[in-house]
Amino acid sequence: MESGNLSAGEERFRKFSVYRIVEHLALIACFTVLAMTGLPQKFYSLGISQLIITSLGGIDSVRSIHHVAAAIFTVLALQHIITAFIGVVFLQWEPSMLIAVKDIHDALHNVKYCLGMAGRPAMSGRYNYKEKFVYWFILLGGVQMIATGFILWFPVIAANYLPGQFIPVSKVIHTNDAMLIFLLTAIWHIYDSIFNPEVFPLDKSIFTGMKKTTRT
Amino acid sequence: METVINNKSGRMGVAAYIVCTALLVCFALPGQPSFAASEQGPRKVDKLFGAEGNADEDERNQCLKCHGEKGSIKKFPDGDFISTYVDPQAFTSSVHRSLRCTACHKEFSLQHHPERSFRNKLQYRIKESHVCRDCHKEGTIKSVAVHESLFRKERAGEAVVCTNCHSAHAVTPAVGGNASTGEEKYCLRCHSRETKMDFNDKECISLRVNIAELRNSPHKNMGCSDCHFGFSQENHPQRRFRYEREYRISSAEMCRKCHFDKYSKVSESIHYNMLSTGRLDAPTCIDCHGGHAVSSLGDNRALAVMKCRKCHGEVYDTYAKSVHGKALLNANNKDVPICIDCHSSHSIKNPSSSAFHDYIPEMCGKCHSNPTLMGKYGLSTDVVKTYLSDFHGMTLGLQRKEASKGYRPDPPMAVCTDCHGTHEIAGVLGADVQVLKDKLLKRCQKCHSNATSNFPDAWLSHYKPSLRVAPLVFIAEQFYKIIMPLMVVGLLFQVLLQIWRYLANR
Repeated sequence: MESGNLSAGEERFRKFSVYRIVEHLALIACFTVLAMTGLPQKFYSLGISQLIITSLGGIDSVRSIHHVAAAIFTVLALQHIITAFIGVVFLQWEPSMLIAVKDIHDALHNVKYCLGMAGRPAMSGRYNYKEKFVYWFILLGGVQMIATGFILWFPVIAANYLPGQFIPVSKVIHTNDAMLIFLLTAIWHIYDSIFNPEVFPLDKSIFTGMKKTTRT
Repeated sequence: METVINNKSGRMGVAAYIVCTALLVCFALPGQPSFAASEQGPRKVDKLFGAEGNADEDERNQCLKCHGEKGSIKKFPDGDFISTYVDPQAFTSSVHRSLRCTACHKEFSLQHHPERSFRNKLQYRIKESHVCRDCHKEGTIKSVAVHESLFRKERAGEAVVCTNCHSAHAVTPAVGGNASTGEEKYCLRCHSRETKMDFNDKECISLRVNIAELRNSPHKNMGCSDCHFGFSQENHPQRRFRYEREYRISSAEMCRKCHFDKYSKVSESIHYNMLSTGRLDAPTCIDCHGGHAVSSLGDNRALAVMKCRKCHGEVYDTYAKSVHGKALLNANNKDVPICIDCHSSHSIKNPSSSAFHDYIPEMCGKCHSNPTLMGKYGLSTDVVKTYLSDFHGMTLGLQRKEASKGYRPDPPMAVCTDCHGTHEIAGVLGADVQVLKDKLLKRCQKCHSNATSNFPDAWLSHYKPSLRVAPLVFIAEQFYKIIMPLMVVGLLFQVLLQIWRYLANR
């Protein structure tokens, strides 16, 4: 943290604790491995997919890697949900990720701003509406991925409790959800944290924990 | 006669002549015009024996008084008999026409006709044929391979009768006569009879060639030696085989001279592999295609199946009950697959191998993805596509890429036959759904041992999801079809809008 870089009217606040920084790093690792081993399975007929599959030792070892990463991802997701629940309910954590009506107003306001119909962008609290959207999309999508993923991983067990048709349904959800999360991450999250002119070349807050704030 | 034979050049001539005679003459049927003596042959004998023909006519006429009568016979104690009739015309056309009767029948003369008794016909014929050796000595005739083997038999105590092959009074010249103008005729003089080939294991087979079969075969215009290389009117190599199969396998080698493409395919096949590991029961060319009766199967697909049935009887019985087998055998349906359509005809792979198993979808797909063919029977061509896009098909395709590195998944990925069966494939149209499901569950359990009754529903039975079939899958698919583009467009819109604002602010 280089406080010397702060200009007038700017100060830094701790946006992410070390716990969240580590959690995010683990998530990046999991996500990369899951996408690297999952997308080639979805687009298995593409040359690049087959190259990846072959270089990772064939489809069965790609699936094994996917399963290991999925298991780690599941643990990550579960601990996140449990700690968030305990924190908010018992430890008086500020539920700053909860979506409020203000976020919808902010989103509409920002569209107006971009179109030149408003003088300045929406001001947000700790997390802006974009971050909240990505967070909840990935969290809920992730839960869905875990559920459908386990059905696909253990179809025989799943069919003991669910109608058989849930297995192909799970496949449809798993593969499409994966694509949605990937696109969201690739198009928006990566843009917003790297290519967005306001933060370019990188919004380092998730790695340093500190975020500049502008007060007017 | 002695004088002439002692003459060196004369003796050489006789030897050469006899060798050729023995080689080329087999059966000279009495009175058969085609066996008429040539100019060359008899003239040579006439010269050798110094006979002009007229001097012996009296004796001959005398003998023919009785022996020229059809119906004269000699009886043996065992009740058997032999005809003593001599066809004068056949004799005068024979190579021995200038010989007196008594030149061979030495115990007889115009004055003396001894009564002889023989135990049976065979003993009589052996005795009579010994006289041939007086002129045709072993040393001169054994250079002919077929004789060599006969001498061997004789030494082993077996009866060898010259007239079995050469006839008696109608014996014709070896060279230059009509009988030997064609190689086929030459060979058939022995091989149209029940000649036998012995094997070391005491088994024997007939070397008889069914000329009618040969004439109907695609090889009808070929000469015997075109296939039986090494054999000709001059050469008849002697070969010994331990078993009949050894002989048959060796015979199949002759096909490769012309059909080398097929031979090289066969050399990669399981049958050839069996052979090379000493399995003599493995089929060779002739076991499927026949020998002299080799036939073009043409449209007769049922016949082709029968070829495989010879060894694979059980598989045939199963196939015959299958939807394919019934259509072929009951309705002569030419669309259904026969053995060779799946297994190929020559480069037959081991069906238990993963190389074979992993390509079964292509095999079935040859017909089941053909819209014209499937349309005839109201069958969907989606079966291959739906399989390939589902878990098993997609996985199989990727696993096959690893096969060259020796990767063998265990259990192997399910292919068409793992669910539908192989030779017992039954039609599913009109079948009871519950029965099909029960059957399918059993198939699933082969790999997914704990699968329960819900499990087969995970597979959409080759149907594309619709509101009628797998509505949940259909709805989920439609949902994402809408949400996916909406989200991409929305996100891009957001990003572009921000970039545009940023640029506008600058």
